Amino acid sequence: MATFMSIDLIKYLCNCGKKCPICRMYLCKHCLKLRCIDCVQHEVDSPYCPSCLESMPVSEAKLKKNRCINCFDCPLCGHTLMTRATSQVSPNPDDPSKAVTRKMYYMACGFCRWSTRDVNLPDQNVATGNWPVMENPNAKRISNLLENYKLIAQVEKAERERKKYVKRRSHLYLQEKYNMSPAIVKRKGMASFSSLSLKEGDKTPDDLDQSETVSSFDPLPTEFFTKPAALDKITKLTHRFMLPEFQPDETSKLHPVRKHLLMRKSLRCSECEHNLSKADFNPNSIKFKIQLTALHWIPEVRIMTPSTFNLNKETVVTLTLSNPSVFNTTVTLSQIENETDTDYCTAKVELPKKEIVLASRDEASMHVYEESTATHDFKDDPKLIAFRKGNKVGFIVKVTPVVKDSDVKICFLLKHEFRNTTVAALQSESKEPEIVWLEHKVYLCLGTV
Amino acid sequence: MSLYENLSIEDQKAFVVDIGAAYVKCGLAGENGPTCIIPSLSKNSRTGQVVKIWDYKNTEELYEYLKDLLYTLLFRHLLLTPRDKRVVVIESILCPSDFRDTLARVLYKHFEVGCVLFAPSHLLSLLTLGTNIGLVIDVGYQETLVIPIYEGIHILKGLQSIPLAGKAIESRIKSQLMEHGTVCTADKQHQAVASIPDIVTDELLEDIKIRCCFVTEYTRGQQIQDVTMRGGHANKLPPPPPDTDYPLDGSSVLNVSGRIREHSCEVLFELDSEEASIATIVLDALVKCPIDTRIALASNILVMGGTAMMPGFYHRLQLELSNLLKKPKYAQQLGIKGFRFHKAPAKENYTAWLGGALIGALETLASKSLSRDVYLQKGKLPDWCCIDSEFLEEKKG
Repeated sequence: MATFMSIDLIKYLCNCGKKCPICRMYLCKHCLKLRCIDCVQHEVDSPYCPSCLESMPVSEAKLKKNRCINCFDCPLCGHTLMTRATSQVSPNPDDPSKAVTRKMYYMACGFCRWSTRDVNLPDQNVATGNWPVMENPNAKRISNLLENYKLIAQVEKAERERKKYVKRRSHLYLQEKYNMSPAIVKRKGMASFSSLSLKEGDKTPDDLDQSETVSSFDPLPTEFFTKPAALDKITKLTHRFMLPEFQPDETSKLHPVRKHLLMRKSLRCSECEHNLSKADFNPNSIKFKIQLTALHWIPEVRIMTPSTFNLNKETVVTLTLSNPSVFNTTVTLSQIENETDTDYCTAKVELPKKEIVLASRDEASMHVYEESTATHDFKDDPKLIAFRKGNKVGFIVKVTPVVKDSDVKICFLLKHEFRNTTVAALQSESKEPEIVWLEHKVYLCLGTV
Repeated sequence: MSLYENLSIEDQKAFVVDIGAAYVKCGLAGENGPTCIIPSLSKNSRTGQVVKIWDYKNTEELYEYLKDLLYTLLFRHLLLTPRDKRVVVIESILCPSDFRDTLARVLYKHFEVGCVLFAPSHLLSLLTLGTNIGLVIDVGYQETLVIPIYEGIHILKGLQSIPLAGKAIESRIKSQLMEHGTVCTADKQHQAVASIPDIVTDELLEDIKIRCCFVTEYTRGQQIQDVTMRGGHANKLPPPPPDTDYPLDGSSVLNVSGRIREHSCEVLFELDSEEASIATIVLDALVKCPIDTRIALASNILVMGGTAMMPGFYHRLQLELSNLLKKPKYAQQLGIKGFRFHKAPAKENYTAWLGGALIGALETLASKSLSRDVYLQKGKLPDWCCIDSEFLEEKKG
């Protein structure tokens, strides 16, 4: 689990210059470069409802304002509301002497006990999809305004088009120039909407009513001075912002909140625009169609055991390298020559000079608990290689801290073979996948002096 | 799925974001209300702490905060791929340059949006009224900002601001709680809040402000100010409204006294050391305006900002203004008889957002905003206070 727990200890240098833990990085197989979460493009892939797991295309979700039609959240605690069924006895319309029982539905929160009956919403006769939608009282006014501005914008656009094609004659130009007051010309940054005014002459439609003004307001109701604040009746700000358009200020005005959709994200390399990660469309599935996380392709460095360090004294540290690839991989480690930044390098390090061959990863044998994995025939120098187990190799580095009172940090260049299976698939003439050497700068924090 | 996404017309909708001092309002252009209103908070990726995005120390830090905030907005609330989208950013005219520049950097370079329109909030709020003359009062969280706008042009000479708004009310509540607030627990009655200061969190203060406090009436307000500000005797205070028991958790109850409920909002109307309150700056703004615009401005007042939603706010503001008008200081200078107020077709806290949503739905949005190509070429934003912002115009010409 160390891969995902203390992720800040070992970081790889991303192409953008940031240092990230390897489990947060991607390897683009087309540019063969590491990409961290900041240098990939995020895309909304498939929105889905987290409650009923219905997925839909982006455009449909947008029409529904990113809300599920069938699922509701409690306006008080945000828990998913449950539909409850009751039976209601009502007189039969054909024969008043007989009664018919009908099934009626209401919604209740299983967590805080809020129900639609608390706010006097009538029960529904179908289980889903029939709940009333709240109507913005200003909707008509806003759409009138919008219509009006759209007409003005069209006029403005036509004007611009006309100017583009009609060749200006000099006197026309001057006239135009002097019509504009110099102040407007100067403050164009702000004045660019002034043309959106309603008083733009006769071209604009005049059917828009002017906004009404009032000169006095109602005073506060007397309850404010005679009663304590009814905390149970006034909603909190978070409750109001669950319905930002309506912002109910009393608990009696609360309304079930349509469940907000979640989405699956796909990632793209920002340089070559190839997909780096794409989830399966079905929200039930946890599989990926494409998953190029760096952990699956690049040998991972880990610290074997914590060690104690003394200033200017050599300490032997065992690091491990594990090979995620299904091929044997050769790795060389080398110093980074010009790394002088003491933020990232506070110790001298002696690295193994020879190449290290990592055994291939074999899914099947990983689950067999056998110590006698002597099947591989690598000729190891026991001074460098501490142990081998499956696709993992423990190797020894000697670290000498040189900076006082700081964490022991080392860095080195990790160079490894990489068999590019994607490119091989494209160039089918060669059977063997092409071997590329990749280099990564690795930064480790080993502990304190 | 995403292949066809860019082909549909529906997807050309711009998204509109208003990053306020306390809350971020965000939604799609052409809609009647914002999709979400979330606190202006961000998680510091290095320390893991949740921080207010306006409390940034340097632009690198702000860059990370804004990236985090916009990521949440886009991928949690709007479910929108930001690439090549149009954006309307609603900003205060006094927005610091480094904030604007950093926001532009995040939008253009990190999220690669197509074009961004930076629009001043006061002007946009007038779009919701369908008028272009107005005295816009923004009572937000950090400050109150009054800007007169005449025929779509800001009268910058008349710009007035004062750091009295939601935050001032909260700090007044806090100081009063510290002074004489008490907490009752199961085993201890009337424990002073000052002895357990940890319970007074920002969330608690905000909730007390929202649910317990109100803006009192003018005459009572004057009586209170006589005592608290001008040293009158305490028995002249109007009888305070009843106390409220505010449950903190299962066992302890905070006593929010009637004085806190009534007096806290007085901070907005008390004359401070410079004889200024949110009502006087409205009149001061009018005094600075050209004489022929004053009547038109005074009869087109628009109030926006979340703090204006406090119960009783409008009534009090109107009475404060008309009583100040009788004072000789203003009566001689201003030839105004009264004030008329507009009501925007939106809640006060998203009035400016609605204006942005209206302008974002227009065809001409692209020609008014700054495209990514131009930004990458020039490397900066046009700014009203900067003389060399002509380049935006050159491109159009």
